Amino acid sequence: MTSKIISIQTPGGNTIEIGGNGDLVLIAGPCAIESYDHSMKMADLIGKVCNQYHVKWIFKACYDKDCRSSPNSFHGVGLEEGLRTLERVRSETGLAVTSDFSDPAWGAATGEVVDFIQVPAYLCRQTSILRAAAETGKPVHLKKGQFMSPWNMKNSCRKIEAFGNDQILLTDRGTFFGYNMLINDMRAFPIMAETGYPVCYDATHSIQMPTSMGNISGGQREYIPHLTRAAAAAGIDALFIEVHDDPPNALSDANTVLDIKYFEVVLAQAKALHDARRELKAKWGEDNVHAR
Amino acid sequence: MSTQDKMTVSDVMLAIDATPQANRTTLLKEAFELMDHHNLGIVCVTSADGTLEGIITDGDVRRMLNTIQKPIAALMSDDVINHAVLTPLTVTSATKLSDAIAVMGNKKVWDLPVVDDGKLSGLLHLHPAVEALLAQ
Repeated sequence: MTSKIISIQTPGGNTIEIGGNGDLVLIAGPCAIESYDHSMKMADLIGKVCNQYHVKWIFKACYDKDCRSSPNSFHGVGLEEGLRTLERVRSETGLAVTSDFSDPAWGAATGEVVDFIQVPAYLCRQTSILRAAAETGKPVHLKKGQFMSPWNMKNSCRKIEAFGNDQILLTDRGTFFGYNMLINDMRAFPIMAETGYPVCYDATHSIQMPTSMGNISGGQREYIPHLTRAAAAAGIDALFIEVHDDPPNALSDANTVLDIKYFEVVLAQAKALHDARRELKAKWGEDNVHAR
Repeated sequence: MSTQDKMTVSDVMLAIDATPQANRTTLLKEAFELMDHHNLGIVCVTSADGTLEGIITDGDVRRMLNTIQKPIAALMSDDVINHAVLTPLTVTSATKLSDAIAVMGNKKVWDLPVVDDGKLSGLLHLHPAVEALLAQ
């Protein structure tokens, strides 16, 4: 099934389209805004690779990390400083930017700055958050909660639609497999695609091992390439990767962010497989081998 | 000609607002709730302009449950159109009631959607039809 297309407007006046059997789109950046300088550095490093491979992308960084394991973990630079930083990155690079928000009261202000608004996975069925996201009028990046079945994401989509927004990207970031462990069920992509919306794979949160290290989350980033290739082959419209130039010292998700030095090899393979899958689809048609 | 021969579907059919209706993306679970609400074993799937796009009956569901492989929780979230009969038998409101009941007997169905000019206009349910005929 070919999904509908969602459109993200860049400050430079361009449109990034996700879905519709189009090119693979990337959403990437550090997990958290660490500083203006660091955000600009990451935008530059990621942008160089994306330009080389002709991949359209959206800069992602969050200003408030409300689901950290410990009260002592870095919580983020906060709403005001975060939005100021995102606005500067946006205006100085011309990139579309995105952030999540974890309090409905922050939705409107966040929506005034970002071009694409993200709903955190843990909050993916909270009506107040979905309403605030929908009412920004910006396309909504809706992550599947680790506790949600892919088919039940339809209910969250319906809530967003009920609040007047039908621009949704659905992302798999792993599903709880017992305690402290996530797995990716590749069936999630065709199942979520049945909603008609484009789908995305979150390459770095999927390998997270939630709160596996007592008061912080671990992760097995050695599997990022394997799972990303599998997702691209299964069929995705967008790829989400958190990237950092110094993972051991990253202020958030240090155990899962992808080192920038490996970013190219992951992106290049994902793009190649995405393009190959589209060629196969053109030759062999839809994947439906179970028609009624 | 007897009174029975003069009766048409329009004399006994359920009105449109008494007919269980869903749209294509109604969840299967919601379609079942509609069946329960109307105490009928059928839901008609219609477009926004009232065109009949399919039906699903409790018999269709029973047969599906004998073969479906996906988890029940996933099934309940499916769009009803994915499990609907897309070319159902129908009658018009002008169809002779005796002819319509003959169709029901031959096909062993309890309900027939009533379609006029391509639009759903009601539902012929066997019980009131038989009651009307017996009352003559």
